[in-house]
Amino acid sequence: MLTTRPPESRHGARVLSAIAAVITSLGGAASAASPEGAFSNASQPLVQAFLKTSCLECHAAEEPEAGVRLDDLPFQITTVEIAERWQKVLNVLNSGEMPPEDKPRPDEKAKREVLAALSRALVVARKTIGDQGRTTLVRRLNRREYRHTLRDLLGIDLDAAGVDTSSLPDDTGTAAFDTIGSGLFMSSDQFEQYLAIGRAAIEAAASDWPRPGAPKPERKTVRREAETQARKRIEALYKNYFLGGFNKAKEWEASGGKSPKEFGFPDEAEARFRMLQYERHGPYLERFLKMPHADTGAYLMLATGNYHHAEEIAVPATAPPGDYLLRVRIGATAHAPPLRRFMEFGVGGEKGDDESGFKAIDTFQVTGTIDQPQVIEIPVRVSAHGPRAWHVREKRYNDVAADQFRNALAKAANGVGLEHALWIDWVEWEGPIPRASPSPIRKHVFDGLAAKGQESDLAKTILRRFATLAFRGAAPSREFLDRLLTVYKTKRDAGAEPIEAIREPMAVILASPGFLYLADPLAEAGPGGRRLSARELATRLSYFLWSAPPDDELLALVASGELSNPDVLAKQVERMLAHEKSRDFAAGFTHQWLGLDRLDFFRFDYELFPDFDEATREAAKHEVYETFHALVTGNLDARTLLKSDFVVVNGLLAAYYGLDDGGSPVIGDAFRVVKLPKESPRGGLLGMAAILAMGSNGERTSPVERGAWVLRKLMNDPPPPAPPNVPQLTRLESKEITTRERLWMHQEQAQCNQCHRVIDPIGFGLENFDAAGRWRTEEHFYGRGWVVKGELAGKVVKKSWSIEPAGAFHGGPAFKDSFELRQQIATRHGDAFARGLIENLFAYALGRPVSFADTDTLDALARTAKDNDYRLRDILQAIVASDEFHTK
Amino acid sequence: MEKPVSRRTILRAAGSTIALPLFASLGPARSARAAAATARPKRMVFLGFGWGVTNETWFPDRNSTGAGYALPEGLKPLERHKDRFTVIQGLSNKFTTEAHWGSTFWLTGANRYGEPGKSFTNSISADQVAAAAFGDATRFASLQCGTLDAANSGHGPGLSLAWDSRGRPLAALDTPVHVFHRLFSGESQSLAERQALLAAQESVLDAVRADAARVKKGLSTADADKLDEYLQSIRDIETRLAKEKQWLTVPKPKPEGLIEPAASMPGHDEIKVMYDLVAAALQADATRVITYRQPVGTLLKGLGINVAPHDMSHYQPGERMEASKKRDAKQSALLAGLLDRLQAIKEPDGTSLLDHTTVAYGSNIRSIHYLDNCPTLVAGGGSGIRLGEHVVVADKTPLANLWLTLLRGAGVQAERHGDSTGVITEITG
Repeated sequence: MLTTRPPESRHGARVLSAIAAVITSLGGAASAASPEGAFSNASQPLVQAFLKTSCLECHAAEEPEAGVRLDDLPFQITTVEIAERWQKVLNVLNSGEMPPEDKPRPDEKAKREVLAALSRALVVARKTIGDQGRTTLVRRLNRREYRHTLRDLLGIDLDAAGVDTSSLPDDTGTAAFDTIGSGLFMSSDQFEQYLAIGRAAIEAAASDWPRPGAPKPERKTVRREAETQARKRIEALYKNYFLGGFNKAKEWEASGGKSPKEFGFPDEAEARFRMLQYERHGPYLERFLKMPHADTGAYLMLATGNYHHAEEIAVPATAPPGDYLLRVRIGATAHAPPLRRFMEFGVGGEKGDDESGFKAIDTFQVTGTIDQPQVIEIPVRVSAHGPRAWHVREKRYNDVAADQFRNALAKAANGVGLEHALWIDWVEWEGPIPRASPSPIRKHVFDGLAAKGQESDLAKTILRRFATLAFRGAAPSREFLDRLLTVYKTKRDAGAEPIEAIREPMAVILASPGFLYLADPLAEAGPGGRRLSARELATRLSYFLWSAPPDDELLALVASGELSNPDVLAKQVERMLAHEKSRDFAAGFTHQWLGLDRLDFFRFDYELFPDFDEATREAAKHEVYETFHALVTGNLDARTLLKSDFVVVNGLLAAYYGLDDGGSPVIGDAFRVVKLPKESPRGGLLGMAAILAMGSNGERTSPVERGAWVLRKLMNDPPPPAPPNVPQLTRLESKEITTRERLWMHQEQAQCNQCHRVIDPIGFGLENFDAAGRWRTEEHFYGRGWVVKGELAGKVVKKSWSIEPAGAFHGGPAFKDSFELRQQIATRHGDAFARGLIENLFAYALGRPVSFADTDTLDALARTAKDNDYRLRDILQAIVASDEFHTK
Repeated sequence: MEKPVSRRTILRAAGSTIALPLFASLGPARSARAAAATARPKRMVFLGFGWGVTNETWFPDRNSTGAGYALPEGLKPLERHKDRFTVIQGLSNKFTTEAHWGSTFWLTGANRYGEPGKSFTNSISADQVAAAAFGDATRFASLQCGTLDAANSGHGPGLSLAWDSRGRPLAALDTPVHVFHRLFSGESQSLAERQALLAAQESVLDAVRADAARVKKGLSTADADKLDEYLQSIRDIETRLAKEKQWLTVPKPKPEGLIEPAASMPGHDEIKVMYDLVAAALQADATRVITYRQPVGTLLKGLGINVAPHDMSHYQPGERMEASKKRDAKQSALLAGLLDRLQAIKEPDGTSLLDHTTVAYGSNIRSIHYLDNCPTLVAGGGSGIRLGEHVVVADKTPLANLWLTLLRGAGVQAERHGDSTGVITEITG
């Protein structure tokens, strides 16, 4: 491993020779590279020859056409200007603009190779030129870390307390990871958001601080029987509006021309409308009322009308703030299919329409029955400005149109409408529930104010302690404290009690740089970098493994100086990875590493994928996080992600995959390891719904997206980014042809073919998974509308084909289906995959892009990991132990 | 790096340059007369719509230029304003290669890889150049409107269309409600209350600045530069507070009939209401420079189109192309609505607000993955360009040339902008 830095510029010859090493180490990613730069030994002569035959006749010295001279274009791409000149060459070749039409066509094969070489050279050159070296910039907390830091500091869950941080930028998109400082910006609006969120969070945390002289809040339990509201309302609606209206309208019809007014209708249209309304909704509501147990509870409906699509649990405004428990007694009907035995819990969605915005907080599997219902208990925190009303509903798309579609299908099949799946006996709330031990902040503030002494001294002490906690152990300056005291006094002068007034300067602390930025100003930073102080190390470590600040134990080891002992450090890594908070690392890292944000880009077609609703997609994402986490905690081979004989799922995903655990159903909302039967296509990232679904557009699979993803993430051989201005071929749209035939046109032109010959075959190999990640053997071309066959209904299928997954890696072996594809990636590309993973973990941990100057460090990490079967927890240990992790 | 400037310095500086409060202190009647006597101020509005347009149906026929051109299908809803705007073909940002970034470099023309050692750089956007020139005269130097749907709308990195002089993203107000409150509320408090509030805000800024001084000690230059973003954001707030102080006694004029918008609404309503607020902001002279990074995802959803925006942009004949066309038509109709409003608002001298406003409407993405011939429409008389025409300029003329042309036309003394090579003489004079 490197212990000293390269002596001179990071963009000089030294870096460029390092590129060659990187390319070679990618393992077949590129042919052997020449030491001089972005073009490989093999590709440079190809490009030279191509320029000579197709470009230089016009674009050479003396009087170059259009002033564009290519004969002096250096093959060493060392500056932005040279890169731009090459980019122009690539652009005009891609767009087909050059060579001009009246000149001889270049050989397609040569053009393809040149395009491939040029695209790759520019990717490498951009990385070289953009290399920020090994400097980790001071950075602010990203949104995830900010949330977790507030959680740990204040002892409250922001979601449960209704503190909304969605107004902050999510900090992804510019850099590869949200831990990389150069992609984390700051603006005046954002500063004000921090201040506002800090106030809200302090308020939520302080909501049950005892007021001097106030009586102890009374703990209450209030239960509401579901039938008392839902049933009564629907009964009245049915009897008066629907059935009543229908009967009256029938009477009018039979009356032989009497005025509709005599029957209570303003005109004839209304009378006819009411008959229609009854036909539409009457049977459905009638069945609801006649269902067994409809008198002791209420069935949940989908949003087919504003009936009983959700049950509300509301804590009244008169109840004091604090911790509460919500409970629902619920059961599933006997015939409810497995995927309809889930309850969503969230806020909003009162009207059941899109606009009232249901926001799910959690999903629960319903294991109770109507005879033996279960009680689901959910903790919440009530604060002055947070929510006081929540909803539970059947898991479903957050789109009324989807419910209407499902109901219409069911009605076409059974004449009434969708069967009920869930039944609620009662709902209740209990609270406020006193905490077993008061939160540290509360104790701290309350005891601080109760102590003896001058008020301003007491306030200052509280603020000093709080700032030290918020600054992860760093002491605030005297001037800062003086200024905070001014803020406090301003509040006091305006009439606030001390316990109220202290909150404002506390919120200011949460918007100050000492809290928001991970920086340690006390140590001197030299030009060649320096060792981290113990406190900096603890901070870097805890934001790496927890996305959260160091806890008391870590800070104690900082104070005692023991953290610098490698054994102590390694033990801490074990402890931290075993802690619940390491799930935040697993989620934050894998989400960005694998690009899971793409899953949210699409609206999934509810007609084609009725089960792939928001909750299922969320569970599918968690499968990825939880699998990674299981590999970390179990210290398993990272290559397990390529292929495994188990999955990590919860009840919802098991139901979606149709899996059981050796014959017994997988029950519950916690994720766990489930062994797979031999013939299962699942196991490894390529069997996960989230990964497969992001390789689609929500309706059709996208072999291109899937293939490119496999190259980028699993084979560590990213294709160049999609080039702009390549002419799109559109003549095959809306023809009844297979996806494979549709993409055949990629073979027609060199601009497309140079990349797609590598990408597409891999994607085709995964075609047995549909756009929502379900297994299929046929591909369909759908027509408009839907058909009913007995109890089942679905979209009209105009044409079907058998899936043909067989293919071959470009320049590599053939595979006959996704099983072989997966197997070959696992056996042939395991090292490349692990290398990519290590590079990504390294960048995430250090908060900077991987530099060419890191090559030696990464080589060493990869070698050690390989000798140790790529055990994932050990890889994390090695990164933490590396010199780079201890250096700023 | 800039030298730390105390807020007091800024207050003094601001006091000497802000003209309008003095103006307003003359009393409404006199200030109106005074205003009428001078030339009407110029305003600039930039509207960016991310995912481009339908290539086949949005652009006029390239062979039919000048005033007599026929409006294509995608621009048809703008028929009644045809003599108030010009469509320009042939413009593009030569450095942009990111096929999904419709807004990041649209107003800047920057080279993402322009600075060695960085994998992303940007530079000042045209609106901020205008804001620097016009901003002192109004309560808000500029207004950035945006949408919560930005990630889904093909805009690329950034927080709004606007980037400051160091190429850092400026945040947007992402809902009409936010914009409404920023522009028009706060009048319910008494003067003393608002003064107390400002004083309290100043003491908050003093506190965090004190902490910044501690953190900054001993940081390397690069680190200090990063932390400087924080200090800059504090300075920005101080500039704004200084301004608010100047404007404390000037009421926030609220155009009649304007009410607080709903918290959430379908995309087309969101754009319509935002356009209403844009018109209201200009009418009230709350600001003279506005950008709006528009929603596309919720727009489609609101139109009942169940196609993901990205896929719609990659249309091929069939359902997705129809969706793309519907999007064009709706966006054009909404723009026509904005032009209606600007046209209807009368300036004190009897001319219309639109006569003094430049409305630039477009995207860095043409359609699909095409980044050349960026769709560009300029309306209004604010820059004195020729209107009512279809102009085809030489292929690959920098978009920055247009921004430079518009800025100069509006009276901004700009030598160049982004990668500009000059002004577009085809639309001047």
